[in-house]
Amino acid sequence: MQTRLFETKDERELLSASAAVLQDLGFQVEESAKDVGFLRATKERSAREYGQDIGRFLTFLLSLGNVIIPVDLHQKIAATLIARPINQEATRQEVRIIFYRVVWKGSGQADRQYIPPGQQKMEMLRDPAMYQQFFAKLSKAVFLEAFTL
Amino acid sequence: MKQHAFLGLLMIFGALLMQGCAAPEPAQDLLAPTEAQMKIRSIQSRTFDVKDRQRAIRGVIAALQDLGFIIERANEPLGLVTAARFAEPNYYDVLGVTVTVRQVTEGRMIIRANAIYNNKPIEDPKVYQNFFATLERSFFVAKE
Repeated sequence: MQTRLFETKDERELLSASAAVLQDLGFQVEESAKDVGFLRATKERSAREYGQDIGRFLTFLLSLGNVIIPVDLHQKIAATLIARPINQEATRQEVRIIFYRVVWKGSGQADRQYIPPGQQKMEMLRDPAMYQQFFAKLSKAVFLEAFTL
Repeated sequence: MKQHAFLGLLMIFGALLMQGCAAPEPAQDLLAPTEAQMKIRSIQSRTFDVKDRQRAIRGVIAALQDLGFIIERANEPLGLVTAARFAEPNYYDVLGVTVTVRQVTEGRMIIRANAIYNNKPIEDPKVYQNFFATLERSFFVAKE
């Protein structure tokens, strides 16, 4: 969860610029509540990872055909954004965004037991590069510099 | 005579068995609050002195984010915020909370937090006290 501060009075502008940046990044804005500065956006992508497929193949070989690990198939990445003023005169706004994803796994097999597809897992995304990219784009969109806490 | 008795017994037995096939009727008081729910109603609410409702809702959202929640829904006209998080360190249990903000008088809000753990309401008052303490702190910070 990364936060940035912007020196501006215009919270609406910040919120609509955030929505535009999220759209640029491929998200679809699902829900917004401008009175509280809330945005929720999602995007669905394939979650197949090269490393997982290789791991699955190797495990299949090493276990002599008994174990097939279910791999990630599909993911939905969601972003929740809150923009709010943090001083009395509302000259400074704080934008806080959280990225997380839900992953659906495929089918597998473990020693005669079939693992059906559809297993889900959810994880928070904590890679700082994603947040830096978002705030760099937002900063450029509103022509303001983003300060860290 | 013996056959009649046997048949009669069989029919009674059959009738008793068939009772199991009847669709269960929902209890009359299905929507009524449970004992546990009524006990915790008072600890789930607290009044705060906040200038207006929007500021109160923003404070609630900030407090929830500080506690590591993901905000699912925020609705200012209704004064409603829904958030959820994993009950760490175990990633199988989900903690959900619905917070409503209502105005009692000018400058005084009632904030009510309904917290559920998996699918049962949380009954421990300390959990709610912790939440309201965090909330109070977030209002203080916003005032500066």
